[in-house]
Amino acid sequence: MDEVALLTGLLEIYSPSGQEGAAVEYLVGQLRAAGLDADVDAAGNAVGACGQGAETVLLLGHIDTVPGFIPVTRDGDRLNGRGAVDAKGPLACFAAAAARIRSLALSRRVVVIGAVGEEGDSRGAHFVKDYYRPAFTIIGEPSGWERITLGYKGSAWFTYQVRRALAHTSTQAESACEAAVAYWNRVAEWAAARNAAQPRVFEQVSPTLRGMTSASDGFEEQAALRFGVRLPPGLEASALAEALAGLAGEAEVTLVEGVSAYRGDKNNPLVRAFLAAIRQAGGTPSFTVKSGTSDMNVVAPVWGTPIVAYGPGDSSLDHTPHEHILVSDYVRAVGALTSALTTLCA
Amino acid sequence: MSANCPECDGSLQLNGVIAGEIVVCPDCGVDLEVTAVTPSLALALAPTEAEDWGE
Repeated sequence: MDEVALLTGLLEIYSPSGQEGAAVEYLVGQLRAAGLDADVDAAGNAVGACGQGAETVLLLGHIDTVPGFIPVTRDGDRLNGRGAVDAKGPLACFAAAAARIRSLALSRRVVVIGAVGEEGDSRGAHFVKDYYRPAFTIIGEPSGWERITLGYKGSAWFTYQVRRALAHTSTQAESACEAAVAYWNRVAEWAAARNAAQPRVFEQVSPTLRGMTSASDGFEEQAALRFGVRLPPGLEASALAEALAGLAGEAEVTLVEGVSAYRGDKNNPLVRAFLAAIRQAGGTPSFTVKSGTSDMNVVAPVWGTPIVAYGPGDSSLDHTPHEHILVSDYVRAVGALTSALTTLCA
Repeated sequence: MSANCPECDGSLQLNGVIAGEIVVCPDCGVDLEVTAVTPSLALALAPTEAEDWGE
């Protein structure tokens, strides 16, 4: 397998969420050509497998990207393209490492998945979570080849809606828009007070206002907000919804959707395999936790087995128009992951 | 088996640990990685933990 050509080929197939079919077919073809058993599952995910054994090491990447095609170009060590870091680089790394070890005598089955829909409703991961019970899981997200991601914050989406009878502006009665603004200020103050004793962003509640609308029919006016909140470990979306409703008075606050934060343990054979593999490749391993969310939030609470996220690339380039990956970072990550998998499947 | 914490020099008594295991120093609370158990117990500061954006 030409590992760089595999990644380049994936980048050249534009696959925003909902349009992953061609990229899935391409990856399945590449996995088959490398000698893995590969197919498309019922959710539309690309799946490849090798090795024997009752237990599974699951490599769960995602093949969809955010919208916005970036022409695939190579500038020295830099490979530009939508999904280079989020997360076709990590997914290609998974496929390449599985191809490298497929002919070894593996004590566990290794399954590589290119899941669909991670940037949307995570429908690929929701299918996977009910279908597998892996012994070890590696989520394909960029952390740089020397860094292991232990956890992700949760997230929740809310709407706020307030109504007021129209009054002449000279009455100085609070308008619906003023009520909405005052509510948002209370949310920000509540979060700031809760975060005061939490210096780490991972432990903080982080609300962001994403939309504001207002309307009037001549008798009543309405104002609505749409906002998201990044959740720290220990704060469930339902508990947050109660707190936010308590700040809203007679206005209506609705929890649209939410996923909890997850932080994995670092004292297990999976993490130890990565620490040793990164050192063996000449690197200095470190850990990180992320302020975003990933498919780890979906599958980890269900499986309850050791899990990390790993993959080449600079995650600060996620979702940006400058998305690119260093080929040298990618190749080193393939080597480190190959070594970790060899240990886990010895 | 015993070894000293490389951060605070406190003494740790550890039995049944394996190479790569991460333990917490009871004196200073820092994370330590068991880097060797033979011929003697050896401890180093565990890899650092950062936080950054990403999803």
